[in-house]
Amino acid sequence: MRIRDRARTLCERLTTDRVALCEVFVKEGRARRSEIGAQGPATVMTSEAGWAVRGGGDSGTAFVFGTGTPPSTLGLPAFGGNSLRLPEPDGERQTEENGATGAPLIIGGEAKSLLEAIARELGEQLSGARLLRAVLDDGTSSSCLVNSRGVDVAFRHRATLLHLEALWPGDSMARTVLEVIERDAQRLQPRALARRLADSLTVRRGAPAPDRDRGEMVLAPTVGARLLGALRGLWVGAGAAERARLLTDRDGRLGSTLLNVIDDGRLAGGPLAAPFDGEGVPTRRVTLVEQGRFVQPLVDWREADPPRWRAAGCIQRPGWRDLPQPGPSHLFVEPSTNVAARELVASVARGFYLLEVLGPVRVALDADRFAAPVSGFSLEQGRARHAIAKAWLCGSIGAFLRGIRGVSRDLAFVLDGGLIGSPSLLVGGLELRRELAGSLPG
Amino acid sequence: MSLIEIDTGGIARSLSQVADHSDDQVDLYLEVLGETTVGGRDESLAAQIRSERGLAVRLLRHGQTWLASTDEISAAAFSESVALVARARPGAVAPPPRSIEVAPPPSGDVGELEDFASRVAAAIRRRHAAFPVDWQLTAHLRATRVVGTMLAPPPQEERFYSCRVQTPAASWGSLFLSLDATAVESVADSLTSLFRVRKAPDPPLGATVLALGPSATAVLLHEAVAHVLETDTLALTGKPESAVGVRLGSRLLDVVDDPGHAAEAVRRTVDDEGMPVVRRFLLREGAVVEPLADLAASAHGPDLMPGAGRRGSRHLPPVPRSTHLELLPPLDPAADILEACGNGLYLRQFSRGRLDPITGDLELKFPFAREVANGSLGKLIGPGRIRASVAGLLHKIAAIGGDMEPAGAGWCAKGGHRVPVWALVPSIVIADVEVGA
Repeated sequence: MRIRDRARTLCERLTTDRVALCEVFVKEGRARRSEIGAQGPATVMTSEAGWAVRGGGDSGTAFVFGTGTPPSTLGLPAFGGNSLRLPEPDGERQTEENGATGAPLIIGGEAKSLLEAIARELGEQLSGARLLRAVLDDGTSSSCLVNSRGVDVAFRHRATLLHLEALWPGDSMARTVLEVIERDAQRLQPRALARRLADSLTVRRGAPAPDRDRGEMVLAPTVGARLLGALRGLWVGAGAAERARLLTDRDGRLGSTLLNVIDDGRLAGGPLAAPFDGEGVPTRRVTLVEQGRFVQPLVDWREADPPRWRAAGCIQRPGWRDLPQPGPSHLFVEPSTNVAARELVASVARGFYLLEVLGPVRVALDADRFAAPVSGFSLEQGRARHAIAKAWLCGSIGAFLRGIRGVSRDLAFVLDGGLIGSPSLLVGGLELRRELAGSLPG
Repeated sequence: MSLIEIDTGGIARSLSQVADHSDDQVDLYLEVLGETTVGGRDESLAAQIRSERGLAVRLLRHGQTWLASTDEISAAAFSESVALVARARPGAVAPPPRSIEVAPPPSGDVGELEDFASRVAAAIRRRHAAFPVDWQLTAHLRATRVVGTMLAPPPQEERFYSCRVQTPAASWGSLFLSLDATAVESVADSLTSLFRVRKAPDPPLGATVLALGPSATAVLLHEAVAHVLETDTLALTGKPESAVGVRLGSRLLDVVDDPGHAAEAVRRTVDDEGMPVVRRFLLREGAVVEPLADLAASAHGPDLMPGAGRRGSRHLPPVPRSTHLELLPPLDPAADILEACGNGLYLRQFSRGRLDPITGDLELKFPFAREVANGSLGKLIGPGRIRASVAGLLHKIAAIGGDMEPAGAGWCAKGGHRVPVWALVPSIVIADVEVGA
């Protein structure tokens, strides 16, 4: 019996007078991990298969999950906690499936060559620097989901995650970690990755920041994305609308006219792109902020309030062991089509080019404040002057969003409870400090 | 009766075909996991049941690892995994093993977990406190078996409980061997202290004397001794075997890792590579005796003995990790650890520890403390942290108590391997430690 048929059968058998609602989720996947590091090279070939059942109703829920194919029948424990609610099918899009999921999994020799090429390039670009550890995970999966309200869908995922740790020994030793996620490993460029590692190691050996300084800031995509992710409370869930309202100016703007914030569960080429979310609801592109004006928060079908707020299909379910949770898939600042990052840098008479966020971003939405530990370069007349090893980028959240004066085309994503993306941003109205003054939640 | 019944002879024959170099290590790892969890706010708890089984075949050749893992236990899955790790097609194909059978893990008792949450709530009320609690209580069962080309050691089973709690004040977690009255009081004490510490003053900044209770001592030793002496940590900065003989801390320190001396519910006779566990002296009189090594590391020298290989999951290659740490009391232990402290701070637990494996810098965060004045416990003090070099901190250990107790059990998550760790340790005193807010 096909896996999907087994899921249907189990769902039918479990739906009884006691179990008013039932959902069966099945996921199978194959992955290849290639690693170099202190433990020696390793190749891991993984075949995973698991299922998960949620059952319940008004009296609560139960969650049972395990390896292999779904059992033909199952005993559910007594229900407790919150009542279970499951979505109804979307009549028009029930049969949609994403087909090809990109290139085949990278083979062992190719992966090893890729990691060794990054190590070699790093050594060439920064004398003495070396990779401590490099891990390439390349995987593909197929899932199906059936529920007792009629949802019956199947979809696939394909993603590659590269984790790099590098060291530049010396009296002022520097270390860095870089994580990159792509749809498939063919998109990983060893020279560009080594360049990012070398830049990061170089700035981490830089001088301390000035005590306090202002000026225009160019935020590299990683920095913009980390700030966007830290402001998750402004984008996700019904409560986001009220929080955003408190930060809007007298003209009703949350951000500058250059700011467009999107969540797109089916972003072309996106590593998390799929036609359905973790509860079988169709995904779609949702505009959260348009030309600086707040449009709607990212809400699932439970919190949707059409036509004001449309449901997004935004339930994330990384694996069969995980309970579904609402969250972004590809949440990003919309890039421009024609502005290069170097043009933003060249436009700065005096300011900073911030390359990385070094730790957790601290945000106090109620107080309209944020602070992020960053590193980068000082800029004069569009040219890098001094590396800055660590400084605090501080300011008002509203000032940050409304101070966006330039958006480039180099959109890139970071993993931060979903994929959060940003192009390079030119921002005014913020401050760089050597020490963090006052208290902000960590 | 074991959960795992297998035809070890047939498996060994198949594995032997992959080991076509003289020093190849090939093994099969079987894993069965069962978890019962209740989670939710206060008395409204929902149940989760997890049931997993799977296998992994590993080839270790000249320091390089190939591992094939799957979420199925069957002769076909085994044969496919063997074929995936084989570097060359075998000349003759061995017949598949007659049987690889596992019983489903028994479900834990949901009622036992719910009852524990209720008893903790009552114990908190007895302390005249009340606050909402988000629970995640889990009963864990992990059964494993390793078969190699030459060895078929006995199956291993571990049964324990984990508790993860979120309150308005803080999050807190621990592992327990049983949900007895001691566990109830321990959780209630910790949660109540975390709640009350909101109004406590910050710790005094600067150098002070610290008395560490057994739980805090266990975390310190885990970060500053066990992690430091894992061969994968040592390999980041040099040859692991060159650590032997280095004086890492005070001469009072005799530290042992002994998985065979852990409580019966989690006791091990072999590690996750099927190698016999040993009573391994990590430090004797403060000097390094034997790093924590797995099979891969042991190939680098006679001082690196395997037996400390652990796997967070069948899908990951083994790594060297501690399992059950002991700090042996000296011949003349401090009779009263607070008296030995004199004036300073008493730390019952650390909430988080982090070792920088390159620099040897250590950061330990404590969620609350108690003032010690003239050898007596005083007022509650707010959260703080210690930052020091490992050697600097361990050399300042000035006294060790005789109050050995099981303590500091928790999850170790280094390198993506989430494994439970246990300890049997006394209280200690550390002089002249810089404390920060």
